[in-house]
Amino acid sequence: MSESIHADMSANVWKILVAPGDAVEEDTPLMILESMKMEIPVMSEVAGVVVAVHVSEGDSVDPGQSLLDLSTD
Amino acid sequence: MTSMTETDAAARHELRRAAALAMGGPRKLEKRAEAGQLNARERVDRLFDPESFRESGLFATSHLEADKDVTPADGKVTGTGDVDGRRAAVIAYDFTVKGASSGQVSNKKMQHMKDLATRCGMPLVYLAESTGVRMPDIMGGTGMGSGNERTRFLRKRESPWASAVFGYAFGSATWHTVSSDFAVFRKGAVMAVSSPGLVSRATGQQVDAEELGGWKLHAEVTGFADAVANTDEEAIELVRRFLGYLPSHNAEPPPVVPVTPGSGERSAELRSLVPESRAQVYDVRKVIEVVADTGSVFPVKAAYGKSLVTCLARIDGRSVGIIANNPIFKGGAIDGPACDKATSFLTLCDSYNIPIVFLVDQPGFLIGLEAERNKVAGKIINWMNALALVTVPKVTVMMRKNYGQAYANMGGGFTADATAAWWSAEVSFMDPRSAVGVVYGVTQEDDPELYERRLAEMARESTAYDVARVYGVQDVIDPADTRGFLIGALRDNHLARTDGVGEHLLSTWPTSF
Repeated sequence: MSESIHADMSANVWKILVAPGDAVEEDTPLMILESMKMEIPVMSEVAGVVVAVHVSEGDSVDPGQSLLDLSTD
Repeated sequence: MTSMTETDAAARHELRRAAALAMGGPRKLEKRAEAGQLNARERVDRLFDPESFRESGLFATSHLEADKDVTPADGKVTGTGDVDGRRAAVIAYDFTVKGASSGQVSNKKMQHMKDLATRCGMPLVYLAESTGVRMPDIMGGTGMGSGNERTRFLRKRESPWASAVFGYAFGSATWHTVSSDFAVFRKGAVMAVSSPGLVSRATGQQVDAEELGGWKLHAEVTGFADAVANTDEEAIELVRRFLGYLPSHNAEPPPVVPVTPGSGERSAELRSLVPESRAQVYDVRKVIEVVADTGSVFPVKAAYGKSLVTCLARIDGRSVGIIANNPIFKGGAIDGPACDKATSFLTLCDSYNIPIVFLVDQPGFLIGLEAERNKVAGKIINWMNALALVTVPKVTVMMRKNYGQAYANMGGGFTADATAAWWSAEVSFMDPRSAVGVVYGVTQEDDPELYERRLAEMARESTAYDVARVYGVQDVIDPADTRGFLIGALRDNHLARTDGVGEHLLSTWPTSF
């Protein structure tokens, strides 16, 4: 099973904290978005392994845009 | 000695009673039990204190001769009972009887319960699961012409309505749920105007039931679900808990309960729960847990518009409605759903004499293409209008940053009756970093020295003491004193002349948002 993590608001990607191959637990911060002058962490809602990161630091993202994929197998 | 006739009457009565209590028959009831679903009568028993249910309409059936033996109670179990010792009325949809569809007689039963609850001042609980209106009874001019629709969905919030949705809910089960003050959905429940089958036939659109009106959709997207439960039992328990915060009707204050042990003992944690940096996020629900009486927090619409928390709670044993920004979601920026959530919660509190507490830390309304297309401007001002109409006490604590129009929406600018700011609070029209760009077009990257100078200009006079100097707040407080401030301010602003009863100017506001 894979799980795609999406942006829930317009934002800039400030910091990416994980790379493909990293194992993450539930509630692990995956990246930090910047919007409304706030540093908004994107948390993993499940435990898994990062399969792909679709954005780079400095990118702007729209609501619903896929940020990264996790494998939950 | 009992005469033969009396014995016959008693036996006949018992037969009719047993037939009515048998609902849709053992086969259907067993199937439900196997699926882990309670039947309508078991749900009613769960709702009310033991032995307190008094049924109204056990011997009702369909008005149609052909259906009279297959419609026990005409598919709705109705009556009254006690919820924690206070009277309440119930309408329980019996899905085993013609899918709990609404026929002429069951509609009369439902209207009687609504009238009783309103007239005598008691909550009304819907235990909802229904296929909708009964077909073919409603077909044609005689079907449509026989109803009395004017007051059927008139909602003036004289007494609370709560709805628990257990399975499929279409038609009146939907209408009653969206006009209730509280709705809980059991996981797996589906609520929609029409069933997926009818949608497909009418429009050609192939829809999945969950996608059309699943509990998750209503918890996260429409906001119709105020809470979600794993089981029938949990859903009913949530209804009972919800009613515990409310008065039986709008002419009395909510019940007062003893203050739970440990309340207020963790107040010192408030100094560290909120990060000093205005850009950092945290979960405001941890703050609420510390401020409110221990164990008293009851979230409302927790999965909807999550950058704003609404919850019932108790402070010093008294019911309050708390509205708090939650930076952990969207940085606390207030989006369209959060606006609707706030206005709907103001309506609940104003209608039932529940004082309102604002806990503020917000970077402004979430702006952008999506927001404008979703009519956020109208939602912001609906909220302001509602706030101006609220007559229950409103108390505001500004915890950290507080910017722009949302400052007023969140109980600033004398929209509340009592206001304090934490000594670390920051109040302005916008984040000073944004203001430098707007006013001077200077960025940190292009000209760091000029940027810093302009930033200092834009950030000046933004402290809690600056607001206090012009009496924009009445006090500046240590975060650890938040609960003490709220208790004092709620006592000062208690509506003593009317024993805590407000004017309910919002009680006829829309039944859903």
